[in-house]
Amino acid sequence: MSNGEKFKRRSFLKTSGILAMFAAIPPTISAFYSDAKKFFVTPKKLIKINVSINKKIYEFNSDSRTTLLDLLRENCELTGTKKGCDHGQCGACTVHINGESALSCLTLAAMMPGKEITTIEGLANGDQLHPMQSAFIECDGFQCGYCTSGQIMSAVACVKKGQTRSVAEIKEFMSGNLCRCGAYNGIVESIQKVAAK
Amino acid sequence: MKPFNFIKSENLESALAPQKEAAQFIAGGTNLVDLMKKNIAQPNTVLDVTAALPNKVVKTPLGISIGAMARNSAVANDQSILSAYPLIAKALLAGASQQIRNMASVGGNILQRTRCPYFYDTTTPCNKRQPGSGCSALQGENRMSAVIGYNEQCVAVHPSDLCVALAALDSTVNYAQTKQKSGVIPFKDFHLLPGSTPQKDNSLPNNALITSVEIAANPFNKNCAYVKIRDRDSYAFALISVAAALQLNNKKIVQARLASGGVAHKPWRWYEAEQFLKGKNATPAIFSEAASIAVKDIKPLSQNGFKTTMLKGAIETALQNCIKI
Amino acid sequence: MGFFDNTPNFATPPEGRVEGIAKVTGKGKYAAEYSVKNICYGVLVGSTVPAGAIKNINLENAQQASGVLDIITHLRKPLVPGMADEAKIKEARFGLPVFHTNKIYFKGQPIALVIAETLEEATYAASLVEAEYISEPFNVDFETHAKTIELKEIGKEKGSVDTWSTVPYIVEAEFNIKAQVHNPMEMHATIAEWKSIDQLKLYDKNQGVNGVQRTFARLFSIPEKNVEVISEFVGGGFGSGLRVWPHVLAAVMAAKQVNRPVKLMLTRQQMFAGTGYRPASWQKITLGVDASGKFAGVFHRAKNGSSVYENFAENITGTTRLIYHFANLKTQSAVVPLNLSTPTWMRGPGDCTGVFALESAIDELSYQIKQDPVALRLANLALDKNPNTGLPWSTNFINECIVRGAELIQWKNRKTLPNQLVDGDWSIGYGMAVGMWNAGRGNASAGIIMQKDGSITVQTAMTDIGTGTGTGMQNIAHEITAIPKNKIKIELGNSNLPPAPSQGGSNGMSSVSGAVVAVSKALKLKLAEYAVSLNELYKGVSADEVLLSANGISLKTNNNQFVSYTDIWEKNKLTEIDIEASSGPGAERQKFAFCSSAAHFCKLRVNRKTGKVKIEQMVCVADGGKIVNDEAATNQMSGAAVGGIGMALMEGHTVDAKLGGLIGDDLAGYHFAVNADAPIIKIEFIGKPDPNINPTGAKGLGEVGIIGTAPAIANAIYNAIGKRLRDLPISPDKILMG
Repeated sequence: MSNGEKFKRRSFLKTSGILAMFAAIPPTISAFYSDAKKFFVTPKKLIKINVSINKKIYEFNSDSRTTLLDLLRENCELTGTKKGCDHGQCGACTVHINGESALSCLTLAAMMPGKEITTIEGLANGDQLHPMQSAFIECDGFQCGYCTSGQIMSAVACVKKGQTRSVAEIKEFMSGNLCRCGAYNGIVESIQKVAAK
Repeated sequence: MKPFNFIKSENLESALAPQKEAAQFIAGGTNLVDLMKKNIAQPNTVLDVTAALPNKVVKTPLGISIGAMARNSAVANDQSILSAYPLIAKALLAGASQQIRNMASVGGNILQRTRCPYFYDTTTPCNKRQPGSGCSALQGENRMSAVIGYNEQCVAVHPSDLCVALAALDSTVNYAQTKQKSGVIPFKDFHLLPGSTPQKDNSLPNNALITSVEIAANPFNKNCAYVKIRDRDSYAFALISVAAALQLNNKKIVQARLASGGVAHKPWRWYEAEQFLKGKNATPAIFSEAASIAVKDIKPLSQNGFKTTMLKGAIETALQNCIKI
Repeated sequence: MGFFDNTPNFATPPEGRVEGIAKVTGKGKYAAEYSVKNICYGVLVGSTVPAGAIKNINLENAQQASGVLDIITHLRKPLVPGMADEAKIKEARFGLPVFHTNKIYFKGQPIALVIAETLEEATYAASLVEAEYISEPFNVDFETHAKTIELKEIGKEKGSVDTWSTVPYIVEAEFNIKAQVHNPMEMHATIAEWKSIDQLKLYDKNQGVNGVQRTFARLFSIPEKNVEVISEFVGGGFGSGLRVWPHVLAAVMAAKQVNRPVKLMLTRQQMFAGTGYRPASWQKITLGVDASGKFAGVFHRAKNGSSVYENFAENITGTTRLIYHFANLKTQSAVVPLNLSTPTWMRGPGDCTGVFALESAIDELSYQIKQDPVALRLANLALDKNPNTGLPWSTNFINECIVRGAELIQWKNRKTLPNQLVDGDWSIGYGMAVGMWNAGRGNASAGIIMQKDGSITVQTAMTDIGTGTGTGMQNIAHEITAIPKNKIKIELGNSNLPPAPSQGGSNGMSSVSGAVVAVSKALKLKLAEYAVSLNELYKGVSADEVLLSANGISLKTNNNQFVSYTDIWEKNKLTEIDIEASSGPGAERQKFAFCSSAAHFCKLRVNRKTGKVKIEQMVCVADGGKIVNDEAATNQMSGAAVGGIGMALMEGHTVDAKLGGLIGDDLAGYHFAVNADAPIIKIEFIGKPDPNINPTGAKGLGEVGIIGTAPAIANAIYNAIGKRLRDLPISPDKILMG
């Protein structure tokens, strides 16, 4: 099919109005409903995995469906990594996988063996906060704190990648981490502070 | 999410071995995991191909080859991409977020499915999700939908930014089907228009796996631009995007490339406008004329009439940005 | 109790919020994050039709799925005494009678709750629940339905519309704003646990634990003290946590049903249909000004969307009665029932909507009469008194906000006509607007527990949704007692602590600060009382004469007369001191009117070819009385302005009128501002304490930070390109086609 192909308005005449389509929904659902009765419900599949989180090896007999985010929050009591949308649209679940920032909600735990995962809980060094954690406190880079873990994980990556040459560059790098409180002033300032060190 | 078997393939051969049940390859997972959560993709088996595919960007005698498993961010920062094919990097960086680019593979980016909200909402009719159920966007909320190349079956647009640049640069997609069988698809033929099979996004054979994308050496590294207009400044899909590239001889345009996202079921090339630009001087007036040629064929839906104006503006802006050094 | 539970102890904690370490280390526990033994998971199933009734629910497949424990529907549920029959349901005023009706009022309405061992199992099984419906006609389209609903008078008419219909300058315009969704980053979640047959413990996301406590005590006919609600860390609210939503009851019912603790976190999509939103609105404003530049009159009409099962009336025209003097004023409103879930208060409720229309209209008028919009406003402000009640303002520095804001943005660089500042395809413009909020105050209590080592814990039930309540409490306690901050711990967000109102309507700090002052003074007096046994000079001293330090008590005068806490504890055989005090509004409310205010200014550029808007500078100067915590207040204000940027440029429900529901109801379909959308926002405060509002002089800031933002942006867009855009959000398509 070539890109030059033209579509004529006339072709629309074929469609019945949307209202007719809508009226057709209940029967569709009821059809599905009777089909559904014969439906075989697949049982869950468990898989044995070893995952290294914050330099500690965890062993799981995990549901193949479990995401890294749910593994952390529901199975490891590492609730510092947050669920803000569960669909890769907010950045609250950002962790580092092999040193690169990634979204744990779109990562299957089953794919994590052999990888090193760092979460917000693994950032501090003993009793020393990571400089980015200190900066977020000093620059008030948060309000409610719910996106903060993800912001800090991205902020650490931002400095590591050297994407701190301008406010605009920082802002673009950090735009995958939504903050509904709008604490963007303090987030940018925190990153500038650490980058300047 | 429906329960599934998880298998990690250590090499291409095992990845391509026949599966007993409906299987789905997973690489970066940024689209597939989402689709599985929404019960739109319901594979019985998920095959992890991250170790089975090349992930390097390699110079070839004819140009460059990008491994299917190369992560979007790695490609965007690759020195040979930046020096010889900067349009690719520009398009990549306009898409998604840093985290998603770190995860998403090039193969997966090309195969990502539309972001039409009806496709994602299983309570609504959608021919792409459930053939024959109807297209809700056609006379529904279609502000983001297609303005060209669509039909009553489907008005969804392809969401990728990378693909707009790949389309502009006439790349090719390499795939493997079995250990012995492989193939090449020119990029312009890779993605499909909805036709009578809106559920089919592309021409990749069933069970085939993209192994790499190749771009032939080209003279567009000096004058190229990617413009993306979206509802916010970052981390949003395009209302309109334009990849533009010019080969200039002083002020004269030797050849031009123009492609758009956010307009059709596939990345769209504006061949007629490209043809028009050939041999002309690179001036705002010429750019404006080229943009007018491009938009003359578009047929907006009930809510996206603005795309005519926006597309024209975006093409002009992209072309102007090509000569802003 | 978390806010100060900083384990391990960090070597040198940086200076910041009291809960700073808990938040930057991920240790602070939000509702869904508590570890509760034997927990299981609940996932809601929503209706797929917008109106009608449930005919049949098929649970067969769902029940077959691994791990399913039970499924609640309207046909299968534990008894909720407060909803036992139709009359009780009505009396309960719970809004949606979830699982207590077969009627469907909106798409996404919960029809079942699947309870399973794991989240994955519950989620999958929920997708297998199938329902058949008896469909009924529906209406979700605000725009068309609003036209059929008649306006009614709201508030008293002042003067008459007829008297100013002949003034030389009149603007009459309509404004449409799409519904906006709070979308706090933390999705609403509840862990419900029945500790015994009549003892309920909830970890819940909300903005007021006492309200949640009362609701469940009533619904389950148990004493309030039997309901414990813990909301220590709250991941944002913006109003969405001000009422108890159906899913909380669902979790409580589920815990009863399976006799295990149940965790229920809404999905982001369920948040759109389950936790309220700012309703869609239509407004018409007629605004006149006489030849001398005095506002002659205003006629403000407003309609807002609501649900078919509740009547939510947004007070859109309220602020029109507050900011300026209008010799003639008339306001009308109407509520438009729709097959959507019930809206609720969202940051700057009513005012954000109303002020957008009013401040846009004033800007439009300024071009008509060729007067600077700053000067036009300054000439018409009601600085002497609240024009609605006639009471004199206790303090009102809105004029100072405007003057200072104009300086900071360099208003003098603004061109009086559009399209005068051009840079290639970009046009640059300046805009401004103001916002005001009735500064309220509620009754609140606070407690202090003091240990022998001189450390104190200040407590209140009030939540801290990110506004810095805890830090503010620490600052106030420190200021009054002089005990060093590192010896002041904070506990909050728990219904077992001294009761406090919900944190909303900018009332939080205003209310709780009074209680903290009261209890801090009470502590001083208590210590002085104990000190009398060691030193007679402490007899009858006032709180102001007493100074506390890390180690003991002393007097401001009389050679200090230091007495150590150790001595006091030993002499009086104390284990700890535990006191509580309350504080609330009083007679001052009869004498004065109270307001917070702010002026927003912005400079932006608009691309005439692509419709892109880039905000270059945003300035906000606010009068919030005394600022208790400068850093947190600045953050709150700049954050509110970011919210306003979203409101102005990108936020809005997408409703499919034909299918009868929301579409793109997630964070990819519903855009709010990312980091790149906002400039570094400049905030300043007037900083003059209000001597009458409460003992600290602090007025709430939560609302005024957002109210003027959207009109300031819309006005700047007009100044840039000469297009008056009256429908929000102003997305790039509207710029191009407007």
